[in-house]
Amino acid sequence: MRLAPYLAFASKAFAREATYRFEVFTEVGSLVLRVYLLRSIWTALYSQNLAPLGIPLHAMITYATVALLMSLILEVDGTRAIRDRIREGTIATDFMKPISLPLYFFSDGFGQTALHALLVLPALGLALLLVRIDVPPPATLAAFALTFALGYLVNFFLNFIMNAVAFWTLETFAVQLMVRWASDLLGGQLLPLTFFPGALGAIVQALPFAAIYWTPLRIYIGELPPSQWGSAVATQVVWLGVFGAVAYVMWRLAERRVVVQGG
Amino acid sequence: MPIIQTRDLRKVFRSIKRAPGALGALRTLFTREYVDKVAVDGITMSLEAGELVGYIGPNGAGKSTTIKMLTGILTPTSGMIEVAGLVPYAQRKANARNIGVVFGQRSQLYWDLPLIESFELLRAIYAVPPERYRRNLASFTALLEMGDFLQTPVRQLSLGQRMRGDFAAAMMHDPQIIYLDEPTIGLDVVAKESIRQFVAEINRERGTTVILTTHDLADVERLCRRIVLIDNGTLIYDGTIEDLKDQYGTHRTLVVELCAPYPDFHVEGAEIVEHEGLRVRLRFDRNAFGADVLIRRVADAYAISDVSIEEPELETIIRRIYREGYEPKAAV
Repeated sequence: MRLAPYLAFASKAFAREATYRFEVFTEVGSLVLRVYLLRSIWTALYSQNLAPLGIPLHAMITYATVALLMSLILEVDGTRAIRDRIREGTIATDFMKPISLPLYFFSDGFGQTALHALLVLPALGLALLLVRIDVPPPATLAAFALTFALGYLVNFFLNFIMNAVAFWTLETFAVQLMVRWASDLLGGQLLPLTFFPGALGAIVQALPFAAIYWTPLRIYIGELPPSQWGSAVATQVVWLGVFGAVAYVMWRLAERRVVVQGG
Repeated sequence: MPIIQTRDLRKVFRSIKRAPGALGALRTLFTREYVDKVAVDGITMSLEAGELVGYIGPNGAGKSTTIKMLTGILTPTSGMIEVAGLVPYAQRKANARNIGVVFGQRSQLYWDLPLIESFELLRAIYAVPPERYRRNLASFTALLEMGDFLQTPVRQLSLGQRMRGDFAAAMMHDPQIIYLDEPTIGLDVVAKESIRQFVAEINRERGTTVILTTHDLADVERLCRRIVLIDNGTLIYDGTIEDLKDQYGTHRTLVVELCAPYPDFHVEGAEIVEHEGLRVRLRFDRNAFGADVLIRRVADAYAISDVSIEEPELETIIRRIYREGYEPKAAV
């Protein structure tokens, strides 16, 4: 397989995203505002209850800030193009190109992500004026980067599956909204999953959503001891395999549906 | 050896029959009754490399379905299909390298980026060698006069500019075959002509095989020698435009402008279709005698200022076929 087309897709998507300058700036602005608000909320909550569940205030603020920066990257949904193109009917012309469409959507999404990843830097710089976040040792940072990358892929397949539903229903907005809320709340973007009590906590931690935010974040704040990193990564890989397989089967069915039923 | 070949090509779409009402909807969930709709019903045709063929038929005749099967994005229900030695639906990606597609109603250009970036992207997709790409880009930019808007984002282009961009995009990888679906829809006369010239040029200079699907019969008359006419999924005519016109009568109309009113105007061998003021329209059979004979007869008897001959218009014939069905040798 030639890589050149997919690199081109990614770089064009990057350029395309960069044309919306206003959106780019407001995104950084809104992020800084949210960092400030989160700091205020957690500080207020902690004044009532010092260090719940052994997470001190500075770790909590670090957690919330890093989660926000991650969301800058994870909320970019490159596969939204699948749904849009199905509704516009342009998906048929995509099938007339000598390329792998899932890879096309991945590289397009990756290009968009790359631009937003660059934005993380100024956003981080501004955020650091408002809050102080902990910086873990290099080994922990490396483990964070690896689990974040795996979480990114799990997130990609989750989005892919959601958008590919449009092959059957044309519309996916409601489903996506619910899954997005569930994954933000149950995945640990809003608050650490250890905050869920007892059995609920166990269930939430066993759900695939945890692989997206929770696994990298708990490594970052040191909640997960290095001895358990291996099994955390293994769990992510399992979810990646499951979602990847579901996405693959769905794609084959969608392809069959298009070529047999004419979309 | 034909470049495109189909034999008894059939496509049946099957959909679930829905009973009306809420109860019916419930029943639909459990019992499945199917409705079959035959979109293409046994089409056999073959095209030689370098042909420029008009593929026409009324809405819902099965044109798009055929094109979809030829491009490989739709699997036939039965029958044989081969495009440049490949079976399109089984070898979709390989087939995609041989073909170019232009849809008048949708664009394959990158909406938010300058036009040139879409070309760059296609160069990467089809691995067009740099030298070849430069040559094609230069040639298409000149032919389609795209120099002024190569750097303009596609969303800011006019429809005419966008269509020219789409044509260049479809041809960038030198496809052997190009499918055009309503390529001049909504364009003004100048833009239409520019597109037609481009199609004629690539067909002549590059030997690209062209299949033109359109409702604009002026496009067809201007570009194609051969037309394939389908209706209700079956092929009803495959041949030259000239033969079709002949089959629909060898009658022509001679329009005469008189110098003075002649209320009792008549001429032997021709029927007066219309006589109003100084203008007379005469219908004659060109197999019986030539127009020159008729003109001489008229000129000998009357003072005339101008004459012209009207060919039967393809549009008139096609309209009749859509309405009444195809009957070879029908008289006009």
